[in-house]
Amino acid sequence: MFFRRTRSIPEEYLQNIGAHDDLLRALFVMTQFDGRTVLDGVDLAIRRGEIFVILGPSGCGKTTLLHHMAGMLPPTMGSIQIDGKDIYGIPPAELDELRTHMGFSFQHGALLNSMSVLDNICLPLREATQLPEMLIRDIGRIKLDMVGLIHAQDLEPSDLSGGMRKRAAIARAIAMDPDLVFFDEPSAGLDPITAAEIDNLILKLKTVFGITMVVVTHDIPSAFTIADHMILLLDGQQLAKGSPEEILSSKDPRVVNFIGRTMPLADPAKVDILNYVAGVDSRLPEPRGANS
Amino acid sequence: MSPSATESVAILMPSRFDRETVPALLQEVRRGIHEGQHRICLDLREVESFDSAGMALVVGALRAAREAGLQIEIQGVQDSVYDFFSLVSVERLLEEPQALPRPGFIEGLGGLALPLAEGSQKGAILIGRSMWGWVLSPFRGQKLRLGKIAEEIFQAGNGAMFIVALIGFLLGLILAMQAWVQLKIFGADIFVADMVAVGVTREIGPLMTGVLVAARSGSSIAARLGTMVINEEVDALEQMGIHPNRYLVAPKVLGLAMATPCLTLVFCTMAILGGWLFGVTTVGLDAMAYIEQTHQALRTADILAAVIKGATFGALIAAVACSLGLGVRGGPEGVGRATTRAVVTSIFLIILVDAFFVLFVKLGA
Repeated sequence: MFFRRTRSIPEEYLQNIGAHDDLLRALFVMTQFDGRTVLDGVDLAIRRGEIFVILGPSGCGKTTLLHHMAGMLPPTMGSIQIDGKDIYGIPPAELDELRTHMGFSFQHGALLNSMSVLDNICLPLREATQLPEMLIRDIGRIKLDMVGLIHAQDLEPSDLSGGMRKRAAIARAIAMDPDLVFFDEPSAGLDPITAAEIDNLILKLKTVFGITMVVVTHDIPSAFTIADHMILLLDGQQLAKGSPEEILSSKDPRVVNFIGRTMPLADPAKVDILNYVAGVDSRLPEPRGANS
Repeated sequence: MSPSATESVAILMPSRFDRETVPALLQEVRRGIHEGQHRICLDLREVESFDSAGMALVVGALRAAREAGLQIEIQGVQDSVYDFFSLVSVERLLEEPQALPRPGFIEGLGGLALPLAEGSQKGAILIGRSMWGWVLSPFRGQKLRLGKIAEEIFQAGNGAMFIVALIGFLLGLILAMQAWVQLKIFGADIFVADMVAVGVTREIGPLMTGVLVAARSGSSIAARLGTMVINEEVDALEQMGIHPNRYLVAPKVLGLAMATPCLTLVFCTMAILGGWLFGVTTVGLDAMAYIEQTHQALRTADILAAVIKGATFGALIAAVACSLGLGVRGGPEGVGRATTRAVVTSIFLIILVDAFFVLFVKLGA
């Protein structure tokens, strides 16, 4: 078989982890590259319709974990289950079929430069559905309008700015109306306004379509704005796991240090969160953009 | 005449109004519009499952009805469908931009010729600017970077040596074979040596070497510089006050201008060797007589012409490849386009310049 699993997970371990109605579960995921451990025993469960954030500093294994979950890279050990099926244990054709129900928004867009923005969005529809061309074009335009890029449909990807490229990548990720979408650093390298727009877009997609979303980020304000649940990774190990409130209330000094260090004190909203974490203020501040 | 009730048609959408059912419904909606009913009503009251395909059908129906001058009404919109529509502007979606007209035959021809003319012009300007910058560099306190030129000579020369020698040898062999077929009729077998030596040295040698260098080094230079442009390395050089013409282009132009004549001489020597081998082994000519005949046929001017042509072609290839490489836009796709254009333009210009050389020699004679 093309995909490999080096060791199986004990049955009693599988039974004790996660609720059975979870859409995606990662069980004891361990990854090594050239003998170097990148992920070490990560467990998580993602519920249907929620936004799950994987948080952590650069190089902590966030993107590797996301690639494992999206069926792009099998872990050295452990299991990734979607709807209770180990995605690296099923036949490749079944995994390909499963992929048509997933979307992936890459960090730098990964748009195909040989075609226009609209053709990039329409590509999965043309290849994986039997829909007539007229409908495919309209679906592509609908997705572009959702991300505010309909005016750029005929542009080449190289003509887009960083923010536009990310939005186009999101439009392509949702082109097939997927049940599960993965975002790799959706707001990295963007100005705060564009980053907030992307956060709002992700929240809207969750509200309207009920899509389950897994978001990798190192942007803490963004993570606390959009997350229903999150996991904090450090050097490939899970440091904390739970709702944003649970993460904020963690007394683990490494968690407090990571959140404290990555929030500049200039922003009053962030100062509120720090005060809450430090116990100065007992009221949990409202996440940014939660009411929009 | 006002529309009557019979002129309107209602299409009831099923509970599943999604990717699975939409292709069949599209036919129904098209039929309704085609039959020219004054008013069409899309009834969504029973819709439970709705996705982008359903929305695309509604948008397509609205557009088709607008074009046909019909009224269209959407009824029974559920909250979930309404939420979906709230994410987009239907008015914007209905404004499909006009496609650009396809170019005609004459425009198409112009479109083919323009890149060639553009490449030649840019190459000529670049060659002038880079050489001028290089010559002036010691007076501006900058280095001549002779080591970099030597590196370019080694890369273009040493790397292509084997393939140039092999093709030269085989071509000499083939040329001798073809010449002998004709010359033996007149009993002039020994003139195979003249044919190969003069033909290869004056024309085929520089031309074939130029084509090989364009394919091998020209494409490589265009791709390398194009990738540097995409990675903003060229901008970084300029920002540091290092002009790309002097730093990148001049060593490549000089390197190729020196390596190509050397390769041309290797090509000619190997071709003469190929012809000699054929003459001695197949035609039965005396080995020393063949060499003596070649010696008599070749003049210093022929060898000089090969060297001058080689140097000109080398500089030309480097200039075209550099100008197209530095002009790359549009990511990896642009690099691919520049590489292809560098080879095609270089080969075209090599043949054009060779024709000018012939004309110049004829007029001078």
